[in-house]
Amino acid sequence: MLKLLRCEFAKLRRKPLFFVAAAVSALIPLGCALFLPDFQEFTNGAQAVDGMMSTLFQMSAYLLLTPALVVLASNLLFEEHDNDTLKNLMTVPVSKSALAMAKMALLFLFSIAFMAVGSLVILAIMMAAGWEPVGFWRLFFVGIGEGIMMWAGALPCVLLVVLLNRSYIVSVIITFFYTAVNYILGTSDYFIMQPFGFNLGMLLPGPLAFRWFFQYLDMSNSSAQMTELLERISPYFVTTPQAFLVVIIESAVFLTLIALVYKRQSC
Amino acid sequence: MSDYVIETRGLTKKYGEQNSVSNLSIHVRKGRIYGLLGRNGTGKTTTMRMLLGLTPPTSGDVKIFGKPLRGNEKNILPRIGSLIESPGFYPNLTGTENLQIFADLRGLKSPKYIKGALEVVNLPYRDKKLFSQYSLGMKQRLAIALAVMHNPELLILDEPINGLDPIGIAEVRDFIRELCDAAGKTILISSHILSEISLLADDIGIIDHGVLVEEESLAELEEKNGKYFRFTVSNAALATNLLQTKLGIQNVQVDNANEITVRDLRLDAGAAVRLLVDAGLSVSDAHLYEDTLEDYFKQVTGGEGIA
Repeated sequence: MLKLLRCEFAKLRRKPLFFVAAAVSALIPLGCALFLPDFQEFTNGAQAVDGMMSTLFQMSAYLLLTPALVVLASNLLFEEHDNDTLKNLMTVPVSKSALAMAKMALLFLFSIAFMAVGSLVILAIMMAAGWEPVGFWRLFFVGIGEGIMMWAGALPCVLLVVLLNRSYIVSVIITFFYTAVNYILGTSDYFIMQPFGFNLGMLLPGPLAFRWFFQYLDMSNSSAQMTELLERISPYFVTTPQAFLVVIIESAVFLTLIALVYKRQSC
Repeated sequence: MSDYVIETRGLTKKYGEQNSVSNLSIHVRKGRIYGLLGRNGTGKTTTMRMLLGLTPPTSGDVKIFGKPLRGNEKNILPRIGSLIESPGFYPNLTGTENLQIFADLRGLKSPKYIKGALEVVNLPYRDKKLFSQYSLGMKQRLAIALAVMHNPELLILDEPINGLDPIGIAEVRDFIRELCDAAGKTILISSHILSEISLLADDIGIIDHGVLVEEESLAELEEKNGKYFRFTVSNAALATNLLQTKLGIQNVQVDNANEITVRDLRLDAGAAVRLLVDAGLSVSDAHLYEDTLEDYFKQVTGGEGIA
């Protein structure tokens, strides 16, 4: 498996798509720093860290990471068909399931890299602006956790892409539809305010991630509107073990399905 | 233990109602080059794909190295090098980088494997040219390099000379021959080019519409090739009569007013010419002809020839 993963990295050489996608994570933090008036109004480092990191959690992860993951997944999964390399791999022999898992592992690392790059850009902006990055590292790891949740949340969409086999256009449409739905549901009271259990508020990545990362943001100096939201949804926050239990179960189910579908496709 | 490196029994592949390969039983002997000959679209590639487990057969068995392929892929496939259809590589990588990926997957740690494979196909090691910039011939060479890189015991090569220039064809032919003669490899090669197969193969399987219509050694096939004399004379009817009555030759056929064909090989051509000239006939041509492999191919496939 490690060998396959190493080979997946080797295949990325001179493929700008991956590096551009990872670099995109810097866009929203940079945009916020340059254009949002809020950034000028922070009174201390802790507030700046919270404000900037929450844009990464709520904007970059939802609006950029999810579509990037699915687009990259299509690229990775279809490249063997497009380049007619699957037959060479099968005769090594490499199992198609293992190959699909190596590609999913690469996406997992990409998610982590995406959130790490975004966080480190924020750190760089903070340092450049002269803010002391109080509480940064805790939120850095929350960001990594959210990246993992988004990866697991993108797997159902990846499964659809594999099922639709080679149809890039339909894959892209599904991706953007899924991203929009995920973002909207992630902010909907109906989905956020559901108890821990087998329900859409737990299973969809948007609401699940929101109910997990939101508790780590410092809301002590927030607006009345935000305080009211916090009071309303805090009973429905999920603990880290709960959140990652869902992630583990979801990823196990969808990775198995992806492996099975990819295996059934001819080479 | 079977003497065959590849043995199939009743191998069949159906796509819907259409039979791509029907009841194919081929036998590839150790240390020999087996040429699978057939026109385009007759099931050669499908057969090879089934031998490599890339396409599951509808029915029938495949045994490689004496063991059923199914269930033994992990032991059998690493001992095989293959080139199936067009060369498939990653376009954003160089030839060396492409081979490196497969070397890693095969656990070939030393760069000597890649260097050696590229050397035999005359491609440079660590060249900066990307696969997407390769010519068709270079792509084909790289595919051959991939097939031989891990020093396999068996090579399955589907139309390996496709896209190569005449010098490249001769080089690849010599290289394949050397692999068999010097290194003792067993090679299954397919082609629709009869001359290539006849120059290279020790054993030949002729496949037509998915059916194996002939499987023999090249020597046996050559023995089967028909031989005959053809004479061009001033009077074919009289010449036929003379040969039959004076020399006791049977199987004489009048082709037209001036040409006769004699399939009785007891004929002494010199004596026949003397007899005809002494009888006042003019003999402008006398030749011994031999059927080509192409004639034989036409005969067994009951149709058109092959390139």
